[in-house]
Amino acid sequence: MKKTIFYRMLLLLAVMAACTLPVRAEEESGTFDAKETIFEHLLDNYGWEVPFSHTMRIPLPIIVRNHEGEWSVFGSHRVAHGETYNGYFIPQEGELKGKVVTLDADGNAYRPLDLSITKNVMALFIATALLCLCFIPMARWYRKHPHGAPRKGYGFMELIIDMIYQDLVKPVLGRDAKRYAPYLLTVFFFIFFINILGLMVIFPAGANLSGNIAVTMVLALCTFLVVNLTGTKHYWKDIFWPEVPMWMKCPIPLMPVIELFGALTKPVALMIRLFANMMGGHLIVLVLISLIFIFGAMGTAVLAGTTVLAVLFSLFMNLLDVLISFIQAYVFTILSTIFISLARVHGEEAPVK
Amino acid sequence: MELFTPEFGLVFWMFLVFAILFVILAKYAWPAILKSVDERADFIDKGVAYAQEAKTQLEHATENAQALLAEAQQKQLEILREAAQTKAQIIEDARKAASVEAKKVMDAAAVAIEEARKESEAQFRRQVSEFALQIAEKLMRQELSDNKKQKELVDKLLTDIENKN
Repeated sequence: MKKTIFYRMLLLLAVMAACTLPVRAEEESGTFDAKETIFEHLLDNYGWEVPFSHTMRIPLPIIVRNHEGEWSVFGSHRVAHGETYNGYFIPQEGELKGKVVTLDADGNAYRPLDLSITKNVMALFIATALLCLCFIPMARWYRKHPHGAPRKGYGFMELIIDMIYQDLVKPVLGRDAKRYAPYLLTVFFFIFFINILGLMVIFPAGANLSGNIAVTMVLALCTFLVVNLTGTKHYWKDIFWPEVPMWMKCPIPLMPVIELFGALTKPVALMIRLFANMMGGHLIVLVLISLIFIFGAMGTAVLAGTTVLAVLFSLFMNLLDVLISFIQAYVFTILSTIFISLARVHGEEAPVK
Repeated sequence: MELFTPEFGLVFWMFLVFAILFVILAKYAWPAILKSVDERADFIDKGVAYAQEAKTQLEHATENAQALLAEAQQKQLEILREAAQTKAQIIEDARKAASVEAKKVMDAAAVAIEEARKESEAQFRRQVSEFALQIAEKLMRQELSDNKKQKELVDKLLTDIENKN
C-alpha cells in the first residue's frame, strides 16, 4: 500500500517536474529568463498557474484597501496582463514590480493595504482544510472505537503522532507534555503538510509556502509567544538575574543582555532554518530544470544530455526534499519542544524531568 | 530582496489561519486522539499483565495439582505401610496372647498333674502301708503262734530299742 503511494508520488513528481516548465519556455519562444521563472515559482502570486499554460491563471480574490480607507475586492484576472481595474494595477517593472498598486492624489504609485488571497494564502487555506479533514474524522474514529487500533491511513498517522508525542514531547516536557502536545502536534503536522504540498507541482498544491519567510516567521513567532508567555518565573530570573558573579550583571547588565539576546535569537533561528531549507530545496530543483532550457540553445545533443541529467538530478532532489520535508517539520518541533522545556524550569531543587 | 521580506498580507492570513487551525485541532482532534492512544496503551498493558497473571496462575495450578497428586501418593504409601505395620502388630500381638494363654493352660495342667500325682502317691503310700500292716499283722499272727518265738521277738525288739537309745 505504502509502496504504491510512494511510486505514484514519485511518478507524479517526475511528470510534473518534466512538464510544467518546458511548456512555459516554449510559449516564451526562446527568451527564457531563468531568474524570473525561478523567482516566480519561489515567490507569491496573485493567480495560480495551470499546468501546460503560462498565460492562463486560476483567478484568486484580491482584497485591498487604499489610503482613503476604501476596500476593493476583485478577481486577480482583472489586473492579470497589465490591465487596470478600479485604479489598481500590477506594474511590470520597478520597485513595486508584481504587486498590486494604486495611485495616490499626486499620481505616485503606492502599495495599498494588501490582504489578498494570493496563491500562498490559498495554499494555506487548502493545507488547513486538509489538516482538519485528516484529523477531525480521525478523532471521531477514535471516539467511536474505544481501544480500537487504527489500520492503514489512520494507523500511519497514529505512528507519526505517537512518534512526536511519546518519543519527543513526553520525555522532554514530562508533566507539561499534555498541555503543550496540541500546539506541538499542530506545528509539526502543519509544517509537514505544507512542505509535502509544496513539492507537488500543480494546483491545488505546489505553493512554496514553507519556503516563504512570512510563514516561517509566524510559526517562529507562535513558538516564541508560547515559550515566553508560559515561561516560569525561574526562566525570567535566569534571563534578568542569572546566577553569575555580581560584576557581570550589576553596573552593566552584561549577562541579562546576552540572555535576552539569546531568547530573541531562538525564534529567529527557527524561522531562518525552516525557510532556508525549504526554499533551498525548491531553488535547487528549479535551477536544475532551468538548466535544460539554458543549455537547450546549444543544440539537440546537449539538450538531450542535459535533460536526462537534469531530470535525474531533480528527481533525486525531489526525493531528498520529501525526506527534508519530514526532517524540517520534526526539527522545528524538536526545537520548539526544547525551547518550551527550557522556559519551564522550576529551579534546581525541582527539575522538570 | 523580496524573498527575505515578509509580506504583510500573508503574515496576517497565516497568523489568523494558524490560530484557527490550532484552536480547532486542539479542541476537536488532539485530545481525543492522544487520550484514546493512551487509554489503549493502558488497556493493552493491563491485558498483557492479566494474561501473564493468568498464565502464572495456571502454572501454579498445575504445580499445585502435581504437588497434591504427589502428596496423595505419599499418603497412600504411608497408609499402606501403616496398614502393613498394623497387620504385623496384630498378628504379633495375637501370637503373644495365644502363647501366654497356652502357657497358662500348660501351667495349670502341670499343677493339676502334679497334684494328681501327689494325690495318687499319697494314696499309693496309704495303700502300701495298709498292705504292709496287713502283711505284718498276718506275719505277726503266724510268728507269734508259739511262745518261744514271741519271747525272742520281744527280746530282739527291746535290744533294738536299747541300741537306738
